[in-house]
Order: sequence, then C-alpha cells, then structure tokens
Amino acid sequence: MNVALREGLDTTQPEAGSGIELLLWILIWSELAVFGALLGAFLLLGMLDPAALAAVRGELDLPLAGIATAILVSSGFFAARAASGWQPLGNLIAAALGGLIFCGLKIVAFTHELPALAAMEARLAELYMLIVGFHFAHVLFVAGLLLLVAWRPTPRHIAGVATIWHLIDLVWLLILPVVYLG
Amino acid sequence: MRSSRALPLPAILICLFVATGLSLVAVSVLPAEFRGAAIAALSLTKAMLVVLGFMRLQRESVALAGALIGYAALICLLAGARIALSGIS
Repeated sequence: MNVALREGLDTTQPEAGSGIELLLWILIWSELAVFGALLGAFLLLGMLDPAALAAVRGELDLPLAGIATAILVSSGFFAARAASGWQPLGNLIAAALGGLIFCGLKIVAFTHELPALAAMEARLAELYMLIVGFHFAHVLFVAGLLLLVAWRPTPRHIAGVATIWHLIDLVWLLILPVVYLG
Repeated sequence: MRSSRALPLPAILICLFVATGLSLVAVSVLPAEFRGAAIAALSLTKAMLVVLGFMRLQRESVALAGALIGYAALICLLAGARIALSGIS
C-alpha cells in the first residue's frame, strides 16, 4: 500500500480506514500462520520419511512449477503497478489474468500428478495436495477479487487487494523450496 | 522511512525471474549440502523482493516488513536445513 494511494484516501474517516487495515493484516497473518503450520508439517514429515518425500518429489512437475512461478510473480508486478497508480484498470486485469493462467498451469500439472500421488496413500502426498490445493483456491478467489476491484477501482480497494495478492505470491515462493526444490 | 531510490518495478521482476531460474538450476546441478544453502538464500531473496520491492511495505511500516521477512527467513532456513541434511545421511 503505497504512499501515493494513502494520500488519496478519504481523510474524513481515518478511524474506519485504520480499522479495515487492521482487519486486513489480521487476515494476512492468519493466512501466514495456517500456511506456516502446513509447510512445517511437510518439512517434518519429509525429515521423518525421506523415502516418501523422494517418491512424492518424483511425481511433481518441476519445470511447470517454475513456469507457474514466473507467471505468478509477473502478475504480482502488474498488481504493484496498479497499486502505484499506473493504469489501475489494465494492470489489475493483467494481474488477474496472470493468476488465472497460474491456475490453468496447476490444473495441467494436477492431471498427471494427482493420480500418481493418490495411488501412493502417503501422508506427504495428502499434505502436498492440501498445501497446493489450498494455495490454488486462494489464487482463484483473489484473481476474482482483482477483477471485481478492476470493475470499480478505488485507491483503498486497489491497495488492499494488491497487498493480499503479494501475500499469495509470497506464500508460493515459500511453498516452492519446501515442496518442489531440493 | 521513505526512500526516493526505490528499485524500479521492472528491475525487481527481472531479479525475481533470475532468482527463480537459479533455484531451478541449483536443484539439478549442486550437491545437497550447497543446494540447501543456495535454495534458502535464493528463496529468501525472492521473498524480500516481493515485500520490499513490490509491496514497498518498508515505507509504511518497517516493523511489518521486518516481520514478514523474518517469517520468510524462518521457513527458508528450515527448508534449506532439511535439503542439506538429506545429503548427509
């Protein structure tokens, strides 16, 4: 949420504004706590059962995950541009499209990953589906929010949705080393 | 803490691409001990680029930016340690 946007806020209602912001950050840290617990569980199970971890990793599509990462950080770039006040409408739509392409790539990956992982009946495979599926749901939902904000953009809404979008970027960048790399 | 010398957004995006590419190369090229440290460092760099470069949160709240980076650092450190330890046994 940048300074230029803050200057554009309605200064007649500062208390309501800070209340919304507090709720936003409570939401963000709640999400981070949930993802942190899931990633911690994945790390722990991976340490306890390296064979299962290697089997799960063998089924994952790393190149596609790399391309999906590039798409997601690109959409973060467009969200940042929108939050900085550059052509909010176009940049919000571009960010949402990036999110939807990310979801498309994940669906392509799921079509060959999930049948193999489901056949394993391993807790790590279930945890993988939970973490990546939960993140996928977030991307899809917030991409919809980006389009909704693009329909009627206000500086406060753009700043809020961009902050959540960056959180989703951040979570994916942490999922990558824990789940896919190594 | 406002900085007039913030990195331009396209430069941050390019750095994110490079760090992502290097992470993928590290997976296939480096031995486990070095791979863990390299992936942890690159992942933390990407997280910092998002927080400081895209969100520019340090301008609004240094504490919040620090907390987010600290959170990312903890997870990257644990991921790097797990990768490195898997090569020792």
